[in-house]
Amino acid sequence: MTHVTDTSSAYENLRLELRRGCLALAVLAVLRAEQYGYSLRKILADRGMAIDENTLYPLLRRLETQGLLVSEWRDEDKRNKRFYSLSHDGQLVLKQLLADWQSLNASLNAVL
Amino acid sequence: MDLLDRYLHAVEFWLPKAQRQDIVSELSEDIRSQIEDKESELGRSLTEAEIEATLVRIGRPVLVASRYLPQRHLIGPALFPIYVFVLKIVAACCLVPWILVGIGLMLYSPGYRAAHGSGWLGALGTIWGGFWMTALVAVGAVTVVFAALERGASTPKFLESWSPRKLPPVRDSNRIPRATSIVEMAANIVFASWWILAMSSPTVVNRPDIRITLAPVWVYFFWGYLILAAANIATAGANLLQPNWTRAKAGLRLATNLCGSALFCWMCQSDILLNISLVTDGTIDGRHIAAAINMWASRALPFAVGVGLLVLAVDLRRLIRVKAA
Repeated sequence: MTHVTDTSSAYENLRLELRRGCLALAVLAVLRAEQYGYSLRKILADRGMAIDENTLYPLLRRLETQGLLVSEWRDEDKRNKRFYSLSHDGQLVLKQLLADWQSLNASLNAVL
Repeated sequence: MDLLDRYLHAVEFWLPKAQRQDIVSELSEDIRSQIEDKESELGRSLTEAEIEATLVRIGRPVLVASRYLPQRHLIGPALFPIYVFVLKIVAACCLVPWILVGIGLMLYSPGYRAAHGSGWLGALGTIWGGFWMTALVAVGAVTVVFAALERGASTPKFLESWSPRKLPPVRDSNRIPRATSIVEMAANIVFASWWILAMSSPTVVNRPDIRITLAPVWVYFFWGYLILAAANIATAGANLLQPNWTRAKAGLRLATNLCGSALFCWMCQSDILLNISLVTDGTIDGRHIAAAINMWASRALPFAVGVGLLVLAVDLRRLIRVKAA
């Protein structure tokens, strides 16, 4: 029983690690078009990459602090929302990360 | 939305002032959007219980706020193993001697017992309380030093500037250094020679001004320690030729140390000094001195037992861990 619990806990940890790096890439990719937080979450969830609010918003702040995103508060549907989009640096970094992702994916497929 | 406002207010409490408004506004917008989506899906307003369930899923306010804060730690993962290692050294070099001294004072100093509570239990309570205070100060001091190191600019440099050449050599726990065997053999030869020359007779000192006589039981100790010294010389010789611990050698070492400790404990209890004859003006009574020495030897028994047990524990650990030859 303990062994089963350990295995499932190890799987969960590894799955989270695997997702963590991919999430930043997915967020940057979706933000090639401007989105606010909740719409971004819905897009990611619809494409099979659900992300909770406690992960997304701190990640957006971090990416913005790093200069990869720009944001502005704007009214939409009578509500004040914060819209994010890629900055110029963000576009460059996304391009590099996508190239890395393709290369990594190819390498991983070769190993698998 | 009273529940939501209370929730957002609780999250806000844990956030840094400069970012509070910004973060809470964004989080509020997200949660309100979730609630609206759910309401349009169900075609009715959410009940308070449903809103509560949504907030519970998002998480406790302090945890939600913590995700926005920089990851902070008193002692980081790089220094933590060194911190634990230093704490172990502090425990071994500072706290253990402190306990031993405390127990010694409790056993041998009636004044200490009288000053620190009524009787043994009171003194033991004082030692126990003092131990925790000492431990708290020691651990606190080490923690403060490491926390300062963690924040100091020198930390990365200290961890990064290293050379594999400065690492200690790999120690084979099965190997017996030849130097140790030589020292052990020389020490036992010197001891055995002195033992035969000086201690073979119960009258160990026989000078015109002083004569020290041991009890008849001394003969057992004389032969006992002589045999043990001979066994140690033989073992050291064997270790010189084959410098590795084997089960047989480790077992022999355990047996000799067990006999040595048992003999010593017996000697403490056996009123070994029979008489001390002094040529004086009669004001000093040798018998009283002998009795006092015997009494102190007897009182030293708990320490002799403690040291003996410590030595035997080391021997036993070696016997258990010795690799099959």
